[in-house]
Amino acid sequence: MGRMRVTDTVAEQARKGWDRRDFLGGAALLAMALGIPAAAVKLSRLDPHEAPSARQLQVLREVSQLVIPSTDTPGAGDVGVAEFVALALAHGLEGSRARVDASQNPGLAAFRRSDHSLDHAGWLQHELNRRGGADFLTLDQPARAATLAALDAEAFAEGVREHPWRRIKGLILTGYYTSEVGGSQELRFELVPGRWDPDLPLAPGSRAWSSDWTAVDFG
Amino acid sequence: MEFDAIVVGSGITGGWAAKELTEAGLKVLMIERGREIRHQQDYATETKAPWEMPFRGEGDAELYAHDYPVQMLNRHFNEYTQGHFVNDAENPYVTPGGKEFTWFRSYQLGGRSLTWGRQTYRWSDYDFDANRRDGFGTDWPIRYADVAPWYDKVEDFIGVSGAAEGLAQLPDGRFQPPMALNAVEQHTREAIRQRWPERCLTIGRTANLTQEKEGRTVCQHRSICARGCSFGAYFSTQSSTLPAAQKTGRLTVITDAVVEAVEHDPATGRATGVRYLDTRTRTRKTVTARLVFLNAGAFNSVHILLNSGVANSSGVLGTHIMDHANTLSAMALMPGFEGRTSFGNRPTGVIVARYRNMDTMDGVGHTRGFSFQGGALQSTWTAGKREAGIGEDYKAKLRSPGMWRMVLVGFAECLPRATNRLTLDRSRKDANGLPVLNIDFDFGKEERAALAQAKADAGEMLTAAGGKVIMGFDRPGAGGTAIHEMGGARMGHDPRTSVLNKWSQAHDVPNLFVTDGAQMSSSACQNPSLTYMALTARACDAAVSMLREGKL
Repeated sequence: MGRMRVTDTVAEQARKGWDRRDFLGGAALLAMALGIPAAAVKLSRLDPHEAPSARQLQVLREVSQLVIPSTDTPGAGDVGVAEFVALALAHGLEGSRARVDASQNPGLAAFRRSDHSLDHAGWLQHELNRRGGADFLTLDQPARAATLAALDAEAFAEGVREHPWRRIKGLILTGYYTSEVGGSQELRFELVPGRWDPDLPLAPGSRAWSSDWTAVDFG
Repeated sequence: MEFDAIVVGSGITGGWAAKELTEAGLKVLMIERGREIRHQQDYATETKAPWEMPFRGEGDAELYAHDYPVQMLNRHFNEYTQGHFVNDAENPYVTPGGKEFTWFRSYQLGGRSLTWGRQTYRWSDYDFDANRRDGFGTDWPIRYADVAPWYDKVEDFIGVSGAAEGLAQLPDGRFQPPMALNAVEQHTREAIRQRWPERCLTIGRTANLTQEKEGRTVCQHRSICARGCSFGAYFSTQSSTLPAAQKTGRLTVITDAVVEAVEHDPATGRATGVRYLDTRTRTRKTVTARLVFLNAGAFNSVHILLNSGVANSSGVLGTHIMDHANTLSAMALMPGFEGRTSFGNRPTGVIVARYRNMDTMDGVGHTRGFSFQGGALQSTWTAGKREAGIGEDYKAKLRSPGMWRMVLVGFAECLPRATNRLTLDRSRKDANGLPVLNIDFDFGKEERAALAQAKADAGEMLTAAGGKVIMGFDRPGAGGTAIHEMGGARMGHDPRTSVLNKWSQAHDVPNLFVTDGAQMSSSACQNPSLTYMALTARACDAAVSMLREGKL
């Protein structure tokens, strides 16, 4: 699959240090993979050295795949969601450029970026390693899933209003369901419905329309 | 080149002025401050899927925080449509300390006709009589009967789909067939009607075609209108009024030209034309005409008048600005419809017509009306952002449409107040060297009281329909949130207390007409664009008659 090769190249770029030029190159390659003119992808004003490391990108890929695994359709890690999450974190999507509030969670202070926002990728890697008691990527599959599930349960527990994992998970969902696979294979996509059927029976297991923009915005 | 009339602005009312004046035989120059956008050729993102967009349709949040901090709050602003909104950093305005105003703007050929919400409602005599009845503001010099034939004309031309309901407060128009309510909305309509016979939930009347018109196709139910619609299925300048005006051969359009002032001859008391800045060559030019129509958008038309120093012998120019106070009055989960769904994207919601303070003054703490817009929708994958879960079961759950929910957004009428006003801040200049607009606006206790009642009512109605209300608010969003900013050059009987007469004509300058939102003397509680269009067509007819009779 062409897209897989291209996103691997992004990781390759990242491994070399992800300097300014490489970041731009990575973004451009990602853009090509997505069919976007490279000129449309703007370089972030964030320091290039704050982009995720190759290892962190690998964590993001693994975590994306755990959230949305491969079933009868590919999973989130398979379709380049980690790279989207990295781009989105660099550009502050899902509120990821908000100032770190370390008052509730002093552990966050260590992952402050130069603009006082949270280095989400660094935090996630550290958090999963800490919880897993070892390098997350060296754990076996059930242990990785259990570690992530525990973090997820904590982040969505009653009374928790904000949590870095919520933002990362939000971006994983965005990355997946707005990808061609997520949007048109896992869900259904119709840009030009051509008609309005106000009331239809809904069979169990029916796939939703990713092109139902009102549902996406307000659902 | 000699022109009979100059129309400043190419949005919803500018397009109408150009059409009506050219069709009456006048040679018209239309001046637009922004770039040209050609119908069907320049809707660059119209057919893009999310995966074809750099930020998947969500947009570059970093860019938005810097360049679009206000526009990004617009319901219709996203990565596909950002090119149809102004760059806030390049188009500054100021608000006094502690007050906010979100001023949504689209500087381009077609203006906000490309990005508008398309909701199309007649006003009634409850609205035109409102100022006289409770004494706020100045009495409108017109009533429903004056506007009704012009509503007919505008609806016939633009195409409005809607359901006739026979309501005095929301008069029926010349409708194309309505789009249908979905199962939850239909049930809610019936449940409300059963308990409160005077409350009517009906499909939102919208300027989207359900029947073809010349050069325009029926709505394809994409509901991505603000990207621009090559089907021409919703009313915009490009799809509708501009081709009509161009067909006459009497229209000249200039884009990238910012009108600074109306030129005025003190000896005759007449406008002689306008002065504008060509933003491509950075040169200033003057054009002359026998008639000037200001259609720059309510606040920008007032800006031009203030900067011109004309039409203000009353001293009220810039005052009594309004916007609807709106907020999410109630959101409810609607159980019982799990086996139902819909197909297609309907480009309109529902409206619950005003029912308070009509023949019985039953408002608590307010004397005007409120109405609701909203609708029922099913959640989808984005609901997963609020839910715990990972893995196959989570993925499977997000595959199907989720729970139905219904929302009612309250729109409360805004009282006209002298303290809510526009002035020019001459100490601050924009990139074109023009003083920036100072928007001093706040809602008052009456709007807050109306939204409190709206919240209570909305919760009761959704509960009566079997809903489980999960949230509701009664504090209005910042002024401008409803994108119905209006007033500032109000219409009135008396030249000493109003800027315009009943023909949208400046009391002080007989050949100057202001027919956009600036002319409004009250705000009603339904969307104003149709009324702006009707008043524009009416003013054009009057102006042409006066011209022919040698009165201008």
